[in-house]
Amino acid sequence: MVADIGFWVLGLVAVMAGAAVFYVNSMARATYALALSFIAVGLQVLFLQQNYVGVVIILMMVMEMAVMAVYMVMFMGMNPALMPMSMVHDSKKALAVAIGTFLTLAAGVLLVDWPARRVAPPAEVTRALGEELMGPKMLVMAVISPVMVATIVAGVVLAAHRTRYDRFGDDLNHRPADDPQPGGVGR
Amino acid sequence: MDAFARSATRRAHVLLVEVPGQWRTRAAVERAVLTRGWSLAMSPADADVLAVCGRPRPQLEKATGLVWHQMSGPRVRVDVADDAPAAEALDQAQARLLGTEHHRHDSDSRPVAAHLLSANKGHDQESLNHGSMDHGDGDDGTMRHDGGDESGGEGMDHGSMGHESMDRGDEGDGTMRHDGGDEGGGEGMDHGSMGHESMDHGGHGGHGGHGGNGGNGGNGGNGGNGGMEMAPGGIALAEGGEDRDGLEMDVLYVRLGPVLPHWPAGLVLRCALQGDVITEAQAEILDAETQQRHAGPTAGPAAGLAAGPARILDNTVSLLALAGWEDAAAEARRVRDAVLEGGDRASCAVKLDRLRAKVARSRVLRWSLRGIRPLGHEELERHGLPPHLDGDTYDRLLGMLERAGDSNGKLASPLPLDKLPHLVTGLDLAAARLVIASLDVHELQPGHVHDETSGA
Amino acid sequence: MSEPSVTTVAPAWALAAVAILGALVVLAAALDGALTARGNDAASGAGGGVATPLWEAARLMRQRRRRTVEADGMLWRLGGAGLVVTAVLMVAVVPLGEWTIFDLDVGVMWFNAMDVMVWALVWLTGWGANSAHSLVGGYRFLAHGLGYELPLMFALVAPVIAAESLNVGRVAAAQENSLWFGLWMPVAFLVYCLGVVAFSVWGPFAPALGADIASGVGAELSGVDRLVFEVGRYALLAAGSAFAVPMFLGGGAGPLLPGWTWVLIKTVSLLLLFIWLRRRLPALRPDKFMELGWMVLLPAVLVQDLVVAVVMVWRG
Repeated sequence: MVADIGFWVLGLVAVMAGAAVFYVNSMARATYALALSFIAVGLQVLFLQQNYVGVVIILMMVMEMAVMAVYMVMFMGMNPALMPMSMVHDSKKALAVAIGTFLTLAAGVLLVDWPARRVAPPAEVTRALGEELMGPKMLVMAVISPVMVATIVAGVVLAAHRTRYDRFGDDLNHRPADDPQPGGVGR
Repeated sequence: MDAFARSATRRAHVLLVEVPGQWRTRAAVERAVLTRGWSLAMSPADADVLAVCGRPRPQLEKATGLVWHQMSGPRVRVDVADDAPAAEALDQAQARLLGTEHHRHDSDSRPVAAHLLSANKGHDQESLNHGSMDHGDGDDGTMRHDGGDESGGEGMDHGSMGHESMDRGDEGDGTMRHDGGDEGGGEGMDHGSMGHESMDHGGHGGHGGHGGNGGNGGNGGNGGNGGMEMAPGGIALAEGGEDRDGLEMDVLYVRLGPVLPHWPAGLVLRCALQGDVITEAQAEILDAETQQRHAGPTAGPAAGLAAGPARILDNTVSLLALAGWEDAAAEARRVRDAVLEGGDRASCAVKLDRLRAKVARSRVLRWSLRGIRPLGHEELERHGLPPHLDGDTYDRLLGMLERAGDSNGKLASPLPLDKLPHLVTGLDLAAARLVIASLDVHELQPGHVHDETSGA
Repeated sequence: MSEPSVTTVAPAWALAAVAILGALVVLAAALDGALTARGNDAASGAGGGVATPLWEAARLMRQRRRRTVEADGMLWRLGGAGLVVTAVLMVAVVPLGEWTIFDLDVGVMWFNAMDVMVWALVWLTGWGANSAHSLVGGYRFLAHGLGYELPLMFALVAPVIAAESLNVGRVAAAQENSLWFGLWMPVAFLVYCLGVVAFSVWGPFAPALGADIASGVGAELSGVDRLVFEVGRYALLAAGSAFAVPMFLGGGAGPLLPGWTWVLIKTVSLLLLFIWLRRRLPALRPDKFMELGWMVLLPAVLVQDLVVAVVMVWRG
């Protein structure tokens, strides 16, 4: 009973905080409203006994939001908390799409004929979930993640306008490197 | 209740205001504060006592007044004259801190933020009428966004504010992705300076310590200029500009000083910040016109032979404190006080040697200060800076400790003020503060106000 | 899974945990006050600085709160108060000898999630005040965070590999009758300690509160707001020390005394060590530390994890 109430309250918090993202008028508030929404979802997942997944959601999302706030502020460029600004664009269409998506998904949740539990959950539900989701594709996923990291690194390297020739000179023998902001290792 | 008030004043925090030339008084107050187990405040918010060391002349007095407004009650201001015993002043401060009734009255009679903002607006424009006046016509530069009624130009009547964004007018729309209508970019600059003007630390307007009212502070501040939408609360929004990587980044105008711990007395550095990198700076000495140079106790009979070494040690304290090494800073302070008290020379020398060894031993300190703003011989010569500033910040620190050993050392000759902006441009705030502390400033020589833009 | 290695006590005992955390905070602040008084040659009349937490608390309770123009008061205060809450949530998973309040099977991840919360909270404190110095402080903390967080995460992985469990009680139990993890995983332990000091914005990791930016994140805090923020920092330091005990210092293992005393003794020792270190080290400037974190600490701690994994496989 208490768990049920807790679960539904968290669900409510998640939805309300998610809506608040578009309602509030400051970037910091929008960002952290989203973080709050994710935290509520993470806690809900704890109720589903997927403890690992739940805690990881909280961990990753809070960290992500902290970093996102940096980028958001960097790109949008406003003084702290000063300028009240709308968080929505093209609000009518967006609202229609959002409500439509929500209703479709909610209808899916309600209409799907969920199977009843036949046996007790396994001791390691996280592992069971992982195998159920990934199954034979585990190797593919394991390969994809380093590829993704490599892509990110390559993308940054290609985007950076400073090359090693800028740092070390044309013959790559200029030491210490000429950096606008020297690091702490002395490369 | 009384016992509570008494315990609350057992460890008051004191914010020091140093009048140029009064470093000895400040050192004495510092000593007195620490010996009685009190603490030195780093910002007005943290302070219970505002200790003004020396008699501030008009501009500094005005800045001090604004700092006073930012302090939350209970608050006490004490003025410590040249040779007055600091401990007595602090006793008096403690006694006045206890008067709960008085503080209640004090907080009731505070002016609201809006009044402060509007009251300070006019003065700022007067005192800032130098520098890049020629940008006044750039108003439309910042206005390339789809705003409605804009007003510009007005804000250009003062120094460095705004002209950065004027030059690069195409940034305006990048920063304005909200669907507000009427914006006044150039106008905003004006209020920005007003907001930071004379605050010891910028970025916000005056504070209503009594709560409430912050929201509409801008109304008073705006005067009749219009364009207030770009300056909520009377504070301008940052404008875009290219950063050192060639990307667009906001430029925020912030004043450093004059009331800032470990900062040369009377110095005000107006900085254009992108992130925390200083892209442009302008230095000024408050009360430069009214200041009688070579007067005051530095040249008086009390100065004595120890002046040079003690002054150097005083700057060493600042540098070590800014580097975040409290133990070493406290030790340097002890050595400074021993020298100032005219203690036994031999024992002072031993203490200084110990300090020097401690500093030289620290690898972390070396790692942290190495490579910050290296200055070569030619560069020093070109700028007319003394040759002992050779090397990077770490070298300069060791040099300071070396020179402090010369017990016949006199105060160094004044450093030309207009060189400062050049030395800190392109550095982040932390590095800039370290560099300024490492310059071992004994006195600043006011000169033609000089603008420095980074080459980027 | 075998029977749990610790017993879960009634939720009401959480109050006791909070009380212990509070006591640790006072103890830590008292020692810091004493060290500061000694460093500054304070007169003996000042009580040697031990009473500092009392005077400071009284002072800050008497001081009026202030607000800045156009501050985002909600986010600003949320930052400070959140630190205390985070610290309490951290100690919730730390077993005190054989008892625990919250026997979560992924307790280590929980701790990790909480220390990431600090990112958000410190930044919010810096942001909310709407002051340039505060904001610079907030971003400095994130810069430090980028440097210390990943090494800290992988440092926590080492004991987990060795114990084959993310449950804090089991990690402690895995060290029974064997060498403490802190001893045979020195790199992980060291990086963990660094991480604790860092997320408490303490000592060498305090540039976010630096003197050069008028105490940065704390520049605009006064009165009760500052009190809560400072208590939060000490509480995080204490929680970090407490969590090190089951992870690296053998939990309640120790001769003669019961387990819970050993947990407290070890926590206090580590906490006092952190306090003592504060004044003794210069700041690690974020711009330099970031590269150190990625180029030195992260590889070092990954190698540590590899070594631990190889040892575990080899042991069978």
